[in-house]
Amino acid sequence: MARVLRNAGTLQESSGLSRTFDATDLSRRTILALPLGLAAAASGARAAEPKRGGTMVMIVHPEPSTLAHYAVSAGNIPPIATQVYEGLCTYDWDQNPQPNLAKSWEVAPDGKTITFKLQEGVTFHNGKPFTSADVQYSFMEILKKYNPIAPVMLAELVAVDTPDPMTAVLRLANPAPYIMKALSGRDLPILCRSVFEGTDVLQNPSANKPIGTGPFKFASWERGQFVRLDRNETYWKPGLPYLNRIVARFIPDAATRSAAMEAGEAHFAGYSAVNYADLARMKTNPILDLTTKGYEMTPAQSVLELNGRHPHLQKKEVRQAIAYAIDRKVILKDVMFGYGQPATGPLSRKFKTAGLYTDDVRQYDVPDRLDIANRLLDEAGAPRGADGTRFALHLEVNSFGEQWLRQAEYLKQALAGVGIAVTLRSEDTATWLRRVYTNYDYDLNEPFLSQGVDPVYGLNKQFLTSQIRKGVTFVNDTFYSNPEVDRMLGEGAREPDAEKRAALYKKVQQVLAEDSPMIWLIDVQYVSVFNRRLKDHTTGPLGTQQAFERAWMDK
Amino acid sequence: MQTALARFASNRLALAGAAVLLGLIALVALTPLLYPGDPFALVGPALQPPGGQFLLGTDTLGRDVAAEIAYGARTSLIIGLSATGAAILLGTLIGGLAGYYRGGVEVALMRLTEFFQTIPAFVLAILIVAILSPSLFSEVVAIAAVSWPGIARLVRGEFVALGGREFVLACDGLGAGDARIVFRHMLPNCTSAIIAVGTLLIGTAVLIEAGLAFLGLGDPNVMSWGLIISSGRAVLRSAWWICAFPGLAILLTVLAINLVGDGLNEVLNPRLRER
Amino acid sequence: MRLARFLGYRLLLAIPVVLGIVVLNFFLIHLAPGDAASVLAGESGAASPEYMEQLRHKFGLDRPLATQFGVYLLNMLHLDLGYSFRNDSPVGSLIVDRLWPTGLLMLTAFAAALLIGTLLGLVAATGRNSWRDAVISLVSLVAYATPGFWLGLMMIVVFAIRLGWLPTSGYDTVGADNEGWDEVWDVGRHLVMPAVALALFYLAVYARVMRASVLEQIGMDYVTTARAKGQTEARVMVGHVLRNALLPVVTMAGVQAGNLIGGSIVVETVFGWPGVGTLAFNALQSRDLNLLLGIFFVSACLVVVINLAVDLVYVCLDPRMEL
Repeated sequence: MARVLRNAGTLQESSGLSRTFDATDLSRRTILALPLGLAAAASGARAAEPKRGGTMVMIVHPEPSTLAHYAVSAGNIPPIATQVYEGLCTYDWDQNPQPNLAKSWEVAPDGKTITFKLQEGVTFHNGKPFTSADVQYSFMEILKKYNPIAPVMLAELVAVDTPDPMTAVLRLANPAPYIMKALSGRDLPILCRSVFEGTDVLQNPSANKPIGTGPFKFASWERGQFVRLDRNETYWKPGLPYLNRIVARFIPDAATRSAAMEAGEAHFAGYSAVNYADLARMKTNPILDLTTKGYEMTPAQSVLELNGRHPHLQKKEVRQAIAYAIDRKVILKDVMFGYGQPATGPLSRKFKTAGLYTDDVRQYDVPDRLDIANRLLDEAGAPRGADGTRFALHLEVNSFGEQWLRQAEYLKQALAGVGIAVTLRSEDTATWLRRVYTNYDYDLNEPFLSQGVDPVYGLNKQFLTSQIRKGVTFVNDTFYSNPEVDRMLGEGAREPDAEKRAALYKKVQQVLAEDSPMIWLIDVQYVSVFNRRLKDHTTGPLGTQQAFERAWMDK
Repeated sequence: MQTALARFASNRLALAGAAVLLGLIALVALTPLLYPGDPFALVGPALQPPGGQFLLGTDTLGRDVAAEIAYGARTSLIIGLSATGAAILLGTLIGGLAGYYRGGVEVALMRLTEFFQTIPAFVLAILIVAILSPSLFSEVVAIAAVSWPGIARLVRGEFVALGGREFVLACDGLGAGDARIVFRHMLPNCTSAIIAVGTLLIGTAVLIEAGLAFLGLGDPNVMSWGLIISSGRAVLRSAWWICAFPGLAILLTVLAINLVGDGLNEVLNPRLRER
Repeated sequence: MRLARFLGYRLLLAIPVVLGIVVLNFFLIHLAPGDAASVLAGESGAASPEYMEQLRHKFGLDRPLATQFGVYLLNMLHLDLGYSFRNDSPVGSLIVDRLWPTGLLMLTAFAAALLIGTLLGLVAATGRNSWRDAVISLVSLVAYATPGFWLGLMMIVVFAIRLGWLPTSGYDTVGADNEGWDEVWDVGRHLVMPAVALALFYLAVYARVMRASVLEQIGMDYVTTARAKGQTEARVMVGHVLRNALLPVVTMAGVQAGNLIGGSIVVETVFGWPGVGTLAFNALQSRDLNLLLGIFFVSACLVVVINLAVDLVYVCLDPRMEL
């Protein structure tokens, strides 16, 4: 994907409770897509002893504008930034938090206090020791104030107490168990207090020269070429990392990125930096392999938004007809080259693991869908004219990548099949964003929406009445306003009981699928391509967005 | 006229070029008959190699490449010809005025030319398309805006050189008016250079159009060779035919135009004839 | 003396010209819809009104246009090109960092294309309508009309992947820390393909213009005269025809040279070459106006200087031309 978004979200869950994990929750397609050797490696069984040394070259696309991912939540920054910054926790394949900078933690019975015992003997790259003061400063002075996802994730955070240098206590106004899912270096990184104290956080020079506690230190950034990270000799985990150096290369052209992998110049390309079209060829290359693992906590969807103020589109029947008219399987096959799955509703299938996904919603992919679509349109008072056309619409093409134009072209044909004449409008990013999100001057829009790890983030932004905010990008621009949904989403954010929460979100999905304010096209699947010499690169559900501390290069 | 045509025809290469161009025009005219229907329609399985039902194969969505090329010919030619025509007109006008009148006029006009030259060409094209919103018209304007400075400087250079020549000074001395000097004496001496650059410009125009289409700044509702090439770029190494055939079409067109241009040069410019 | 006065006059004139260009560019760029804050916010995907307001304030976009312009102009007069918020660096250093790779690539390709192209044009013209003329014309046209990205990719596939002779992309081998001659060799290896791809493209222009120009000169009276006088063909060509034929070539070269700073976006993109072209393109896409204006400014200075140089070369080539 040429563009990657990420939001942090969480699963509603009490820490300390073990979560029963059903292996069949994983989509079968994910497992079948893995070569067996990798599946074994991913589950922890190592074929050989890690070797020390070597430089790993990874492709990051596009080049980030900054490395300060504590203030900018673009998805192309964490692959680099999380080598340098760490979080209180990491996550295992069951998406349960595991100790990292926090040795252990305890959630109070009323859920309003989380006490973290911190890891001793950790120093930042500038030599300063890591203490609870850093946790306090990071959360309260930096993340809560400047992190774009904090308004949701840290909404309930009132203060961070530091009774001693190795203990940090998060105090919440209300229980917010989803915070336990957002403690990774990707979502809530721990920064060095002494670097930021007394400075303007947004202007701090360490933004692009990050100083953290992670396994790799920032060495240099040659704009337009690469970022170099060197091994942290004083990393607190004994024996780690194995690699001497990580270089993140920026290669603007998709075909050249593939070529760099094939020539063995680069060893890892995550976040679909290699085009879907090339993946089949990558698979047959003897030095390469690919995996779809590492994106379980990064769900995203390709959607078609309908402007709810348009005279035709404000009718539910018309919206549903459009949903029936589109064959998602064609998009999956011809645009995504088979990677991903047809979406069924507002939550991606990746939420199955958390038990929040349901496909018990109105099904639009039925054999007689075109007949139904035509009938609905006739009933909605939009009959065909003499030339077969009912009415005309404009479709704004997503500017972030070339495959979106393919998708738009297909959508145009699909809608033509039911008598809706679509004119495509393809503009550059700045123009597109202004037209849609500031001027609301659109009929159909095809953005790409990231859903974070918890519905609190993804659903609220798109469907709450309060999120209809002029001038703000990627929030509710369909003017969808349903008091019932507003209520359920509000309750769902606070509901501590997992089953009740699941029931609430199930209802939300059903209502939304019925109302169809937008049409959910594809549950996106990112893919990583890697050189077989590189081992242990994908060690958790955050994939490239967590440190490569255990990665090693075979000779 | 008769001898001019005969002279043109005796140049085999130019003749070949003319034949290709005529064939292209014929294709444009006959397209609705040969390929009835919408070239954007998804008519077959995606990524079919050439041969069988689809002579030139199908593209990533299952559209007929041959139909796309036929319909694209019209768009690419329109853009290529009108943008280049505008660039040549504007460039010749400005360059000619500057080179003939010299002095303050030249200074002002050359500075204007410089303004357009200083902005990197492709960036300027994108800027114009962004301001005017993508459409066939904005593409033509953008390409013309990018191309005319070269012509202007070329013509100005030639006019300055010619201005010192004896025959021009003689005409002036004889009392010939400005217009007469320019149109009967100076311009004809520039034509070979202008034609040489101009014919290349048409090719450039088509290529810039391809680039804009690739960036998503072309008009996505109109079929063009650039659109086909950009859609085939992602699958270049597996489905070579999607880029190859429109690329070949561009190549043949550019070639033909240039050969015809050379032939024209010979006919128009008596001094280029066989010794 | 005349020369010194001419130079002085032109350089003095250059200042208001460049300034004028900057003014016009400032307002031209602002015609483009959208702004840097919304693009950045859009890319980060988590925009709140507060966040966008913060951005706008940081970028100075919340001030009236006239104020922004005034501030920019004032800074310009101190040769301060401003700050690129998107890249978190001063504009000046961003451009300077890319000047060397851009210059290296463009000059190499340019020089090669000019030399070889003019030679080919001469050879074609002297053998007019023979098969060598046809071959040269065809080959140069093919080189010109082939889409740059296709040519680049094919070269990468053949020379980097299949044969392994050359690296796929980039300026030098990352993480290799080469010094001295090792670095020169490393950069040289990386330079080969993009320079060739670029040169092939320019080649056609020079070959064709030179060919047309030489043909025109050959037909002129003074050539007939020289031959009648018994001069050798070589003498006629080199001594007389060449000098005159080069005029339009010099013009075109001047035009192309002005584009030097813009680089070739296609070649830079395909080969991952860190040039100013992609910098400008990215700046436009992200509406990073300070950076874009800075690039236009540097480009303006370069074009003005080159146009001046071209005018001087004219005089050298053709004494009848007056300054």
